[in-house]
Amino acid sequence: MVDFARVQKELQECNRDFEVSGIKVMPKSDANLAHLLGTIPGPLGTPYEGGSFKIDITLPDGYPFEPPKMQFATKVWHPNISSQSGAICLDILKDQWSPALTLKTALLSVQALLSAPEPDDPQDAVVAQQYLRDYPTFMGTARYWTEAFAMTSSLGVEDKVLKLVEMGFPEALVRSTLVSVDGDENMALEKLCSG
Amino acid sequence: MEDYMSGSEEDYYSSDREDSLDGLENDESDSKFVQYKAPSCKVITKESLLSAQREDLRRVMELLSVREQHARTLLIHYRWDVEKLIAVYVEKGKACIFAGAGVTAVEIVNLDPPEASSTVTCNICMEDVSATGVTNMDCGHCFCNSCWTEHFIVKINEGQSKRIRCMAHKCNDICDEAIVRKLVSEKHPDLAEKFDRFLLESYIEDNKMVKWCPSIPHCGNAIRVENDEFCEVECLCGLQFCFSCLSETHSPCSCLMWELWTKKCRDESETVNWMTVHTKPCPKCHKPVEKNGGCNLVSCICGQAFCWLCGGATGRNHTWSNITNHSCGRYKEDSEKMAKRAKRDLYRYMHYHNRYKAHTDSFKQESRLRETVKEKVSNLEATDSKLRDFSWITNGLCRLFRSRRALSYSYPFAFYMFGDDFFKDEMTEKEREIKQHLFEDQQQQLESNVEKLSKFLEEPFDEYPEEQVMQIRMQVINLTVITDDLCKKMYECIENDLLGSLQFTIHNIAPYQSKGIERAAELAIGWSTQAGSIKKCQKADGQANGCIIESDVPSASGISDESEHSSRKRARKGSFESSLFDLNLPAKFN
Ligand SMILES: [Zn+2]
Ligand SMILES: [Zn+2]
Ligand SMILES: [Zn+2]
Ligand SMILES: [Zn+2]
Ligand SMILES: [Zn+2]
Ligand SMILES: [Zn+2]
Ligand SMILES: [Zn+2]
Repeated sequence: MVDFARVQKELQECNRDFEVSGIKVMPKSDANLAHLLGTIPGPLGTPYEGGSFKIDITLPDGYPFEPPKMQFATKVWHPNISSQSGAICLDILKDQWSPALTLKTALLSVQALLSAPEPDDPQDAVVAQQYLRDYPTFMGTARYWTEAFAMTSSLGVEDKVLKLVEMGFPEALVRSTLVSVDGDENMALEKLCSG
Repeated sequence: MEDYMSGSEEDYYSSDREDSLDGLENDESDSKFVQYKAPSCKVITKESLLSAQREDLRRVMELLSVREQHARTLLIHYRWDVEKLIAVYVEKGKACIFAGAGVTAVEIVNLDPPEASSTVTCNICMEDVSATGVTNMDCGHCFCNSCWTEHFIVKINEGQSKRIRCMAHKCNDICDEAIVRKLVSEKHPDLAEKFDRFLLESYIEDNKMVKWCPSIPHCGNAIRVENDEFCEVECLCGLQFCFSCLSETHSPCSCLMWELWTKKCRDESETVNWMTVHTKPCPKCHKPVEKNGGCNLVSCICGQAFCWLCGGATGRNHTWSNITNHSCGRYKEDSEKMAKRAKRDLYRYMHYHNRYKAHTDSFKQESRLRETVKEKVSNLEATDSKLRDFSWITNGLCRLFRSRRALSYSYPFAFYMFGDDFFKDEMTEKEREIKQHLFEDQQQQLESNVEKLSKFLEEPFDEYPEEQVMQIRMQVINLTVITDDLCKKMYECIENDLLGSLQFTIHNIAPYQSKGIERAAELAIGWSTQAGSIKKCQKADGQANGCIIESDVPSASGISDESEHSSRKRARKGSFESSLFDLNLPAKFN
């Protein structure tokens, strides 16, 4: 069984210094603490700067004695993150996990990975090839993806609702979808399109 | 004379082999006899596993003055290779091997035992727990007992019993097995048992020199070899196997050659090839039809006649070179070339396979000789002959089995040695031809002498007059020496002239054992009280691995370079012939 007492404490502590770290972890629904949504800001001085990246977190039964499962929900162009599935190649999420680590420290490691790609141990071979052979194009693509998928527009909630309703989705569904993805219109659109 | 077995070992052999051929033993042995070396491989039974492991643990504990669990962690890290551990220790020092294996050298002494009333915060569950409910690991990291327990349970279930690391991030330390055992057994006694079994079996599973016997159903034993993992052994349960690949014995084939060979023999593709070369489908009923004469008109059992060259249906009128009203324009030179190649490859395979098969069959036939020879000997013993020594018969029979075996496996060896699979780029056509002639000379000499030996042993010499028996005796003794010698020469040729000259060879051949496949001796239990003898033994021959045998048994060293037919008298006889007799017979023939 997941140690929910600990998860509760982790969430409180993490969100307490949100102002400093910019890292946030929220339960996807109040009923189930095993499914969480994390948010990390793209590190400054990287093509991910200004982006806000969502990460799906699933806690296995053995948590914290087994590592949490994490996966990018926001599309990202990075050698160690699958451009298709969002799967992350990071040792502390596998055999280097220690129960002394927390969701916050894990997300900080993911953020550090955005700053320091390791193309020699790639998750996405296509991206890694580009990173090694054609760095300028890699930078361009990564930036484009950040702008396209990770930048929350400055639109207010009502504007987003209006925009999506104009695209032909029913309003009630649009609102509930927007809430479930923390107001991210790109993710809401993706979710609505995938049915 | 270090070649004789100790009393206890001998007891083991004689008691175990009593059933085989007591009647054959003769009192006066002016005959050639076989010298015996203590086996260099040991059987580790369920009962002796613990002591086998403890012996290595003890050596490391004494050498490095560490506790048992640290010795175990070090040994698991070095895959139970004590020699390697010692080498690294000598070269790089204690601190280095400790750090590498995740052992903390200095034990942290907690000077102030925590007061029972005070509480600490466990960094895992983030709860405040009483100071008595937490445990310090050797590395100094401290967490609450229930967190430790959860951690251990997860790791044991993941199969990581052998290396459970501390819970702290980036701490490489291996948890104290005593703490693991204590905490886990409080919550999950059966899991604690599993943990202990994993630790115990690590000695077999992580150890390059120890392997489970591949018998099915499993006999429960493991075999430990001393020096060379490329060897053939026999388990207490009677199964003979190649230690390296765990399949049946196959020397002088390398493991890879043997794997390919058995696959090839199994493969139907050979048969399919044969079919394409030798048969063609009937154009009417599509049954494969074999060509059995010179002319190209063939007919199917359904009555349809057709042309062998193009497969087209024809009438029956034909001459040697021509079928009436039929001329085939579709004949292609290409397809003939392909067929020729396939045919050549097939013939080559068949050449080697037939001989391999013939010798394997003879081997099976000859294993029945065991019984008839036994009979002949007792018949001879019953006569009033001057002859009292019949060990030449049993020795000859043993020699026959061993050389027959080497001979049959030499054919798949040759198939690959001189084929295109492995060494095509390493030898020129010319070199290959020379080597092949060299080898085939050896092989053929061996073959003809093995056949002669077989023939003499099959004769009903128990019905012959004494003079004739004497003659056969001379022949058998001679041929026994010669075939042994020829086997050795064939192996020398393989090692030196064939494989030895090649640059990239991955083919390790289990050495020829004049005395037959080594029968692993049971590991003595109870050695562990003799710490003294362990040291003595270490000093004496430097082969510390040999120490598991009682110290009065000399360790054996690989193949003997002395002839089996040494003129030395053996110190004690009695169990030799019986233990030797079926040495080369696989269990299924016994
Ligand atoms: Zn705890
Ligand atoms: Zn530690
Ligand atoms: Zn066995
Ligand atoms: Zn093998
Ligand atoms: Zn037919
Ligand atoms: Zn004809
Ligand atoms: Zn034709």
